[in-house]
Amino acid sequence: MRRLLEIGGEQIPVWLAHTGKGYVVHARDRAVPCALTCSQGRGAYVLELEGRSIPLRLAVSETATFIHLYGRAYEIRRTDPADRLVEGGAGAGQDSIVAPMPGVVVSVTVGPGDRVEKGQTLLVIESMKLETTLSAPRDGVVAEVPFAPGEGFGLKDVLARLAPEEE
Amino acid sequence: MHPGYGFLAENAAFVRALNAAGITFVGPTEDVIDLMGDKVRARAFVAERGFPVAPAAIEDDDPASFVERARAVGYPLLIKPSAGGGGKGMRVVREDAALEAEIETARREGKRYFGDGRLFVERYIERPRHIEVQVMGDGCGNVVHCWERECSIQRRFQKIIEETPSPALSPEQRTEICETAAGIARAVNYRGAGTVEFIYAPDGAFYFLEMNTRLQVEHPVTEMVTGIDLVAEQLRIAAGGGLSHAQAEIRQTGHAIELRICAEDAFADFRPAIGEVLLVEEPQGAGVRVDSGILEGGKVTTDFDPMLAKLIVHGSDRAGAIARARAAVQGYVILGVTTNTGYLDAILAHPRFLSGDVSTGFLAEEAAVLTARGEDVTDILVAATALSDGRLVRAVDEIPEMHRLMGAWRN
Amino acid sequence: MRRIQSRIDVNAVEYRENYAAMTGRLKEFHARQHAARYERPQRDLDRLARQNKLTVRERLEMLLDPGTPFLEFSTLAACRAYDGTVPGAGVVTGIGIVQGREVAIHANDASVKGGAWYPLTVKKIVRLLDIAIENRLPVVHICDSAGGFLPLQHGVFPDRYLGGRVFRNQTILSRMNVPQLAIVGGHCTAGGAYVPALSDYNIIVEGTGAIFLGGPPLVKAATGEEVGVQELGGAIMHTSVSGTGDYRAASEAQAFALAREIVSQWKRSQKAVIETAPIEEPFYDPQELYGIIPKDRKTQFDMREVIARIVDGSRFHEYQPHYGTTLVCGFAHIWGFKVGILANNGVLFNDSSLKAAHFIQLCNQNHTPLIFFQNITGFMVGREYEERGITKDGAKMLMAQGGSVVPKFTVIANASYGAGNYGMCGRAWDARTLFMWPQAEIGVMGAEQAANTMADVKIRQMQREDLELTDEEIAAIREPVLERYKRDVEAYTSTSEIWDDGILDPVDTRNALAMSISAALDAPIDDPHYGVFRM
Repeated sequence: MRRLLEIGGEQIPVWLAHTGKGYVVHARDRAVPCALTCSQGRGAYVLELEGRSIPLRLAVSETATFIHLYGRAYEIRRTDPADRLVEGGAGAGQDSIVAPMPGVVVSVTVGPGDRVEKGQTLLVIESMKLETTLSAPRDGVVAEVPFAPGEGFGLKDVLARLAPEEE
Repeated sequence: MHPGYGFLAENAAFVRALNAAGITFVGPTEDVIDLMGDKVRARAFVAERGFPVAPAAIEDDDPASFVERARAVGYPLLIKPSAGGGGKGMRVVREDAALEAEIETARREGKRYFGDGRLFVERYIERPRHIEVQVMGDGCGNVVHCWERECSIQRRFQKIIEETPSPALSPEQRTEICETAAGIARAVNYRGAGTVEFIYAPDGAFYFLEMNTRLQVEHPVTEMVTGIDLVAEQLRIAAGGGLSHAQAEIRQTGHAIELRICAEDAFADFRPAIGEVLLVEEPQGAGVRVDSGILEGGKVTTDFDPMLAKLIVHGSDRAGAIARARAAVQGYVILGVTTNTGYLDAILAHPRFLSGDVSTGFLAEEAAVLTARGEDVTDILVAATALSDGRLVRAVDEIPEMHRLMGAWRN
Repeated sequence: MRRIQSRIDVNAVEYRENYAAMTGRLKEFHARQHAARYERPQRDLDRLARQNKLTVRERLEMLLDPGTPFLEFSTLAACRAYDGTVPGAGVVTGIGIVQGREVAIHANDASVKGGAWYPLTVKKIVRLLDIAIENRLPVVHICDSAGGFLPLQHGVFPDRYLGGRVFRNQTILSRMNVPQLAIVGGHCTAGGAYVPALSDYNIIVEGTGAIFLGGPPLVKAATGEEVGVQELGGAIMHTSVSGTGDYRAASEAQAFALAREIVSQWKRSQKAVIETAPIEEPFYDPQELYGIIPKDRKTQFDMREVIARIVDGSRFHEYQPHYGTTLVCGFAHIWGFKVGILANNGVLFNDSSLKAAHFIQLCNQNHTPLIFFQNITGFMVGREYEERGITKDGAKMLMAQGGSVVPKFTVIANASYGAGNYGMCGRAWDARTLFMWPQAEIGVMGAEQAANTMADVKIRQMQREDLELTDEEIAAIREPVLERYKRDVEAYTSTSEIWDDGILDPVDTRNALAMSISAALDAPIDDPHYGVFRM
């Protein structure tokens, strides 16, 4: 597992290993043996690094680590490159809303040219005695809503289309 | 009703509403608030009574004689659009030959930016200090001052370190500037706590800038050296109890410094920082006072002023106060939101600050030094961050021992 | 266990000459490996860059846990085939660590002929999947292949262990509840389409990844339909319409991040229990192996010196130290794993064969994996030995070895000739992994012996035709035969043909064996049972 740390504007890829003797942090083309032990006080630790014992205070949030060291506070932003990448993919790049099953359009809340936000309702359809709300898969501009309320449609008919995203 | 030192403290309409409701306002009368809230009127009022104001000329007073009056202000001078703000269209003129051309340029810029070409000029003070004086009046003509505060350490026109006494003033100047402030307060028959601000030029000249008709953020330094509780004093005056001290009884003892702890990134143009306060540990000990508005678990958002707390220290002399301030700010642990503690410490350590050689431009002039990266502690930060990252440590621990120990072996 | 007392003198002339000879061989070996991994015609690298695809090595590093080992198999496969134009047989296989789990990895190398499957490509993939089946190792496939190499389709497609075996093995793995994941980072055409389809999970990279039975040109030729790659088999179509794909990724980096997340969902294997001890480095420096292995293959050396530089603490409990002394048997630990070692210190006689049969049964009895260090020229021949039943005793050794239920691992450390290769768990005997050292040889008999035999046949035939042969003429017959044979028995020929799982630098042997043992423990160990021993 890798981490991308941001310290003072610098992006530093980091990973951790463990030799029989203890942890080794790999960063900036170096491998440095280190250990972190609790000490007196809330958030107080002693970092053993290259023969030095460094007292520091530390607090960890979801996305950052805050360290009080030698009288100064530092904020280290942490990202898991994997998390970021995995989230990036879902649902992106979809332009057309395709009918999941045949049915009838109940209502249409947007028209061509309207700017919509991701998740905003585009139209409501009825099928198999159930009403389903279809919403925008991404931010964008509506290009087309081919069916009017009351009109029927078939499986996989395009019910709404967003204008293609500009790069 | 004590209005604190926020927006309501200088709002005359608020005071009128309180009066109408029969509630006593802790502060001056609405007339004084109105007068001092209008910069032009306040300046004219002070000048008319013989107190020093920076030489200036306002075009509107008599457009025909504007250039002549501007010349009389003396050089260097600053041309400003009447309708302006934010530094737009301002021009510094250092010699007479350039004056008329610069006035024309400034007029064109004023028209372009503000649709209004009217101008005014004032004396341009180079390397000015900001020195202010705490005054207390009983509203019955009695006014005392509680000495000065030096507030020249400013970023984005906002103070972040204040101290008293000012290292710039000789005893004679100190008396003169403080008496001037008390005189101005007396002239408006001031009631309650107020502050008279001055621009102080390197040659020792000082000019009235404005009067704040309320308690100031930096009032604790005054309390630390005088031993007077200014808020108690405000309440006493509001209750009709008058002043508790005669001028001769108010003495400056030792030296006090206030540091404003702000949620901001001093290394990124003082961009306000947000976050959740995860851990707070305030410095303690003799001569250390913390006025704080944060608790662990609290959220810091941009909805409010970035100031989180004030750290005030007192020492027997300036060097002692600085040493104590440094120790205190270094020991002030605030984790979860970026603060300016490291930056404040860098200011305290700067040779020009140590020698008292500062002006309102100090932080901008020394920005490179003050925001220089110190000793490279990246390795320490990286190691501590990695080892305190539970998911990362677990991921390593989950690798079977043998494979962990083999490392990145390849055949 | 006692530490082996080494008798090696590192200052001896012989040691230093051996050392120099071995380092020379290794320099060549590592240079060949480097070339096979990284040296490609510029146009192939340009093509990959143009397609916005990572190299197979970059893909591997993105998949594996940082700071963990990767045991790569058959790094020089096909080095003596196809005029050397298909380095590594165009595929990377091995065992690595993903999210703390051991997985077998099969990754097409699209920089080699677009990842096309040559006969040896198929053999290498099938071998990897056989390893996965034997060891119950989860598999990650990284697919990027142009499909079978048509000019050699007869060597890719029809037979039992060719193309179809890849997919057959996938179904067997699935039946065994061993998970598979395919990352489609390029095209999976024709048969290759089944690799992701038969995987429990698959990820398609948008833009570059595609799966189809027939690509657009084939479709046009077959039905006249004109269709683009993306419509026909792209990530969006397969993940939202056909359901052939499970996940789509906007980039390769995202695909590998997703792949790691998927692997982290898999349940960890229950390791078979064998004896273990705290891990200890060998007491003697493994690098000294270079000076121990003789520069001349015919020179005898003591396998205990080799064992001392591979096992934990150089400690070895020798079994029957005074009986059947041409075979050294005993217990040791490798990276903490208890193992039983059989190592040749000469020809196999009756006693050494019986000792082997007995020792192998001991190891099966207490679930101790077996390691064979081969330096074997064969079973002893001659009237006396036949009368003593050398074949019968050899058969006992084969029966015990072949009937073993514990995992077996073989290192061909020097010579591997004749039936000795069988007794010492040669390729046909299902060693979980089998590695060779670079100077080692494998063949039915030694090169000179074979050359002489073949030359003699020819000479006698000519003599029968009353042809008088001068010494020069005899040499002219003998030399080419010898040259050809020498080349055929070399480790490079073996590894090119995937008769082994790769050539190892001797110092890597310890790790390679430990990685192999650890992986093998993913499969349960049966109770021992044997066939009929000829008594």
